[in-house]
Amino acid sequence: MSGSAKTDQLRLGFMETIEVEGRGHIGGLLITNQNGRPLEFQCTTPVRPNRTQEILFGETLRPWLLGELIGSTLLDRVAIKPSLVVTSDPCLLELRNHTEVPIAVAESATGGRRGASGGDAEESRKLHLGGSVLRFHDAHNSDIDSLQKQRHLIPDSADLQEPLERVREALAETVRTVFAR
Amino acid sequence: MDAAGTNGESGESSVGVAEADSGVMLPQRPELLSTGFNPALSRVPAPETLCSTLDITLDFVPSWTPRRIPLKCIGLTLPEGVEFLPPAAPKPGLPAESRKAAAAQPAEGSSEGEPPQKKVTRLKPPPDALSLQDRLFYLLQPPLESWLAGQELIMPFEPFSYQYEGIAWLFSSQAALLADEMGLGKTMQTITAIRLLLRSGQARRILLICPKPLIPNWQREFKTWAEELPVVVMEGNGARRRMLWTMPGVPILIANYELMTRDLAEMPEEEQPKFDLLVLDEAQRIKNRESNTALTARAIRRRRSWALTGTPIENRPEELGALFEFMEVIPKGSSPDLRQLSRLAKKYILRRTKDLVMKDMPPRIDRDAELELTDAQESAYRIAEKEGVIQLNDLGDSITVQHVFELVLRLKQIANYDPLTGESAKLERLQADMEEIAASGGKAILFSQWTKTIDWLEPRLKEFNPLIYHGGVPTKQREPILAKFKQDPKAHILLMSYGTGAVGLNLQFAGYVFLFDRWWNPAIEDQAVNRAHRIGVKNPVIVTRFISKNTIEERIDRVLREKRELFEMVLGEGDNNNRALSLTASEIFGLFDLKARHKDGSRSIGPKPVPASGEAA
Repeated sequence: MSGSAKTDQLRLGFMETIEVEGRGHIGGLLITNQNGRPLEFQCTTPVRPNRTQEILFGETLRPWLLGELIGSTLLDRVAIKPSLVVTSDPCLLELRNHTEVPIAVAESATGGRRGASGGDAEESRKLHLGGSVLRFHDAHNSDIDSLQKQRHLIPDSADLQEPLERVREALAETVRTVFAR
Repeated sequence: MDAAGTNGESGESSVGVAEADSGVMLPQRPELLSTGFNPALSRVPAPETLCSTLDITLDFVPSWTPRRIPLKCIGLTLPEGVEFLPPAAPKPGLPAESRKAAAAQPAEGSSEGEPPQKKVTRLKPPPDALSLQDRLFYLLQPPLESWLAGQELIMPFEPFSYQYEGIAWLFSSQAALLADEMGLGKTMQTITAIRLLLRSGQARRILLICPKPLIPNWQREFKTWAEELPVVVMEGNGARRRMLWTMPGVPILIANYELMTRDLAEMPEEEQPKFDLLVLDEAQRIKNRESNTALTARAIRRRRSWALTGTPIENRPEELGALFEFMEVIPKGSSPDLRQLSRLAKKYILRRTKDLVMKDMPPRIDRDAELELTDAQESAYRIAEKEGVIQLNDLGDSITVQHVFELVLRLKQIANYDPLTGESAKLERLQADMEEIAASGGKAILFSQWTKTIDWLEPRLKEFNPLIYHGGVPTKQREPILAKFKQDPKAHILLMSYGTGAVGLNLQFAGYVFLFDRWWNPAIEDQAVNRAHRIGVKNPVIVTRFISKNTIEERIDRVLREKRELFEMVLGEGDNNNRALSLTASEIFGLFDLKARHKDGSRSIGPKPVPASGEAA
């Protein structure tokens, strides 16, 4: 399995975090091919901010903790580098400020949000892919353009939110198996 | 300073300032009294300057710079799957949806205007997977529905939800006995699970053992369900087979039981092939633990062991022990009791019946045709029975079950037709039924125990263009016969023997099944019937059992019915179709009232009845 992406291959990353009571947050990153077949998975040990960090980071604590700290660690660690990282947590968009990999929040395309609000500006930061709508970081509008070239590799039937569920299950299993001991 | 000087000038001015500042008009001047220090107030103060160093050292200086907390990671690299040539693209003009239409079922919970809610089948880690990596491997796989719908694994037809469950169960099982009732798609579930194992890199070399007549069926099914998988059939001379057994780069090798036993028994220990998965189809073939077949199968080196059978118990619950030993879930040579078998069955057996999963499947309609023998048959039958019983009684205690068995066979043959005159009540009824069936363009399958009976029937059913499929037909000719039966609208009846045609064939286009004579074991009869009554059947299947009244057939039928009702299966409640046992030796003796003659009278001969554990016929 090579980390270098061929032109006819797309490696997708799916990143989620969960909070473990009394231990902090852990994050997981699943790398799949464009058909959702898993290639690599990494998850972090739990991390909990101390009181100073809570006070000083204030509202930026979660984006820092989840995006910069956990997200960057996971992206550094995976051997297969993804062309896109999908998540369900907007806090993880912060990761885009620390990596060149586009980060997107996946939302349901049938959620009734399309065209309902936000106007053209918001709509321009969204990409309809598979059965989902991907929302990108405000400051990185070019991410959509770079992905447009590869969108044909993702089948229309693809559910980009489903692998996130796998990551959450894998994290829960890891907590049960390892950290609960 | 100014204030002090002003204050020091006079008490009046001081008061005046106070008045002006406050703006309060006092009603009368206040009287100033001498205190002795008033003059001191008028003196110019002379301040002195002193130098002093400030103490700027603080006890605690809070300092904080953000730094990245080092995090440890737990990683898992999933094995690379076997790469195959991409499947052929659908033919132009053929809508993709039509490929999935045949067995599609309506999506659950869908309503008008909303996208249908598709059921999702997730892989679960097997209970015996202990390491985190092993467990994560299963949890991280995509749901079967999306995996199989992906571009990599096109499915020709949409599987039923119970089939998805079966595939997921097999995929995550090291040891598995898939015991679905005949016709529910064990073959398809196995092929798809194999496909996923290969694709996900969990297996690279798989051996599938099946009865010889079923090899073309497996080849055909592999082509249908996994056309990209290279399948090699074990055949040819000894040298070629030796090469095939160990040839690398063969993902799927199919061999029959006889070749497996013969070739591997001769092979030196160090040359024995090794497989990631061994699948035994019709695994009841190894029910005798000490048979060469069972011993050879158990000796094959493999990582996973799957067994497939629609009849995990043909005769005795203990037969399951042989299968569990093959699956390596019980110690070698151990004999689990019924409670242990039941517990193992829950863990390692997946069995679904049509009643359970195929509620919408057209029904199977069973009807018994109880026929009076013709006069010639009746006469021949009574003579044969009378003489046969006398001969058996004369044998006394030297009688064996084989002697009785021979008489039963003789009587059953006469019940089929009288060999002297050729009269047959069954044939008359069959011809009458077939006229109706042929007139409506229908097709029927007829099963008999004897090839001789089948050959006798063929010329008498000429008008219905019968086709023959039994052990006497060379293997290479069998597939064309089945194809002709399916495609030729004039071929209305297929005459088959239980031994050759009862298992593995898909003949669901036949709406009628005739059991011309009865097999010893209803499980085998069920297998035969299920050639027609299986997935894909569009109309009810009418099954006609011919039973000659007041004959041995009626007695056998009664015994088997009673056993069906009495025998409680290990496999749990609701399993009506597998409550089937062969006749035991004592039950075969019981078909006749045999008495050894002595000077002082007579006494019954033969073994005493031993429920559910005697020697099977």
